[in-house]
Amino acid sequence: MILVSAGRRLLWQEWDGHYLVFQPSSAETHVFNETTALILRCLEEGPLSIAEARAWTEVALDAAPGELGADEFDFATRRLEELGLIEYRDETIASQ
Amino acid sequence: MIIGDLSRQECQEILAGKGLGIQFGPFNLRIRSNLKSFAAVAYQLYEPYPLLTAAVISDFHVDMNSPPGLRRWLRPQACFAIDGHSPFAPYNLEHAFPALEWGINWCVATRAHHLLMLHSAVVERNGQAILFPAWPGHGKSTLCTALVHSGWRLLSDEFGLVRPEDGMLLPLPRLISLKNDSIDVIRHFRPEAIIGPSFQATRKGTVAHVRPPVDSIQRAQEPARPRCFVFPRWIAGAPFILEAMPKSQAFLMVATNAFNYEVLDEISFRLVIDMVNSCDCYSLRYSNLDEAMAGLDELSRSFDA
Amino acid sequence: MPKLANATQRAQKLLLEALKSPENLPALPPADWELLLRVARRARLLGRLESDLSRAGLLGDIPPRAANHLKAARNVIEHRKTLVSWEVNRIVWALKGTQVSLILLKGAGYLLAGLPPARGRIFADVDLLVPEDQIREVEDRLVGRGWFKTQIDPYDDRYYRVWMHEIPPLRHQERGTEIDIHHRLLPRTSHLKSDPAPLFAAALPLAEPRLRVLAPTDMVLHALVHLFLEGDPDEGLRLRDLVDVHDLLCHFAQQPGFWASLVARARELGFERPLFYGLQHAQRLFATPVPAETLQNLADAAPRWPIRKLMEGLINRALLPGHPDHPTRSASLARWLIYVRAHWLRMPPILLTRHLWFKAWLRFRGVRKRVDLAQLDLKQQ
Repeated sequence: MILVSAGRRLLWQEWDGHYLVFQPSSAETHVFNETTALILRCLEEGPLSIAEARAWTEVALDAAPGELGADEFDFATRRLEELGLIEYRDETIASQ
Repeated sequence: MIIGDLSRQECQEILAGKGLGIQFGPFNLRIRSNLKSFAAVAYQLYEPYPLLTAAVISDFHVDMNSPPGLRRWLRPQACFAIDGHSPFAPYNLEHAFPALEWGINWCVATRAHHLLMLHSAVVERNGQAILFPAWPGHGKSTLCTALVHSGWRLLSDEFGLVRPEDGMLLPLPRLISLKNDSIDVIRHFRPEAIIGPSFQATRKGTVAHVRPPVDSIQRAQEPARPRCFVFPRWIAGAPFILEAMPKSQAFLMVATNAFNYEVLDEISFRLVIDMVNSCDCYSLRYSNLDEAMAGLDELSRSFDA
Repeated sequence: MPKLANATQRAQKLLLEALKSPENLPALPPADWELLLRVARRARLLGRLESDLSRAGLLGDIPPRAANHLKAARNVIEHRKTLVSWEVNRIVWALKGTQVSLILLKGAGYLLAGLPPARGRIFADVDLLVPEDQIREVEDRLVGRGWFKTQIDPYDDRYYRVWMHEIPPLRHQERGTEIDIHHRLLPRTSHLKSDPAPLFAAALPLAEPRLRVLAPTDMVLHALVHLFLEGDPDEGLRLRDLVDVHDLLCHFAQQPGFWASLVARARELGFERPLFYGLQHAQRLFATPVPAETLQNLADAAPRWPIRKLMEGLINRALLPGHPDHPTRSASLARWLIYVRAHWLRMPPILLTRHLWFKAWLRFRGVRKRVDLAQLDLKQQ
């Protein structure tokens, strides 16, 4: 199972740890905390497996490996998926 | 030509006939009314506003009339209509004037989607505009009235009209409506302010309208650049305190209170981001109007520095 | 009353001329622009005018004040289009894993199939056609994924489910777009029989495999049925809908054999009468290039002469907007009559009386009187 960024290019603005994101496909403006925003940013660069996405987010958050709870990560990705910002795909990524 | 160039009788006849053409900032209105009481108040309060000739395009065609038929005699009422449609239930006859003012607000808010419409008072000094967004805590209109009678120009009491092409604020210097206690507060603070009659027991309590200074009306075609957001809150006994507000919070307050933020999609997002980025954002607590005037004067001086 | 008649005629002529020849609009004097904007707004054709002028590169040549109104209409329309296509996107997402396929009707269909009526047109809701045996599954899925059934009084709920051809609208808890799910084009009670099976059989797929649209002839016929049988007591028949029909006809006429298959299909589905009225009025108002042969073939679908004359007059008055300052009695009467007729065609007289009486009673009791600003907003473009 991999995660992929969905839809058209997003517009970003960050102020004091809050991330404002405009989603052209839905005309919605979202407010995200740092964790959710970083997950989304990571995936904008390209598809990742769930494990990889979590690892990258931890690095971006300056957190120790495994520090980002699976529950918190799951909640964030489900919410992003419901908003149509990312997609779950039943694929695997060929190893480099 | 201004409304005051007509005689009172002429004004009443025109209202009851082909309709009075009057310019409010970017909008040309044609107002018709067969109500004498309405005509009297309109003549007093609209006196300095530009009178339109027949050769212009009117944007809104509004009527404030007694409804036809039996109801006219049973219970005196006034009906607001635009282009022949009445979007609201009839009002009591004596509330005809405030009803028209609200009706005009409604017309702007539901139609002027070529602009981004923030819900905000806007005043200007030295080419720099301060926006006072509407947010829980009230006092916006009272503060705005005080400012425009203390050397500031009124752009608008309700609408922050942002022109998408360049982010400039367009003036809409209409009457400022005050409610309940604020009416006396302003009478006391600035006895020279021109305030129309008080309308009791409206849907919003007691309401009266302040006519802005003539200068604001005469400069209605002069846009201003936004410089600062101030979110005001009147709190009894509070000293004047300006506190920097986090930009993310300012953005959310402005966007969620706007009349049509959603409609302009990406343009709204970019415009509000740009405004919040280029403006200082403050929350304000105050209780004393004189203190507030002095404090905001000082703030405005700091812009030039 | 010659003055009233003249005012009405002037307003209607302005609008029809504007639709037919937008290239003449830059030369229009201010007084005419003012009236045109008001009448076009009433008929929900502001966006269409904007689109016509934009395509012709003429937006810079009209008075800036008029251009602002058109720009405002365009902004609202573009926004609504985004909302509608997004809602469809989310519906497809919600139905992942099911075998359901949906037919997009009306606006959502025109938009996602890239058809001409989508141009300059405001869409309020998403209308879906789903086989009756799949309705339950679709409803359950959507409700499970964030949509809810809009609050309506129990009478309307029953009315929808038992007598009508749709379930009560659904709305997502975070978005405002309404979804109307139909299982047939017309109510079971309708005088016009409308078995939906042939429509499903002929529907054409879109790029997204789960989505389909009606076949061209069916799309035209549905637009006509919708136009004539879903009136509004205030607005009468929506001229906007006839413009859609005109656009569809001009577009599909490019397909060989279209006109013949249109008539054949109308007979097959029992929609000859609406087709007859539709072609007649579209040709008269918009000069739609309907072949003489087609009209001849449909001659038997016309009602008997006295009724035909009466309907022509009624439809005429109900279709075209009047002058906003000079409403005519006959026009509002015509609109009301057409509205009642539309309801009559949809349900048997006994039910109709009971329905209209009950609705009048509800209105008298003050049920659902609040002003829905969002809906009013939509009606203004």
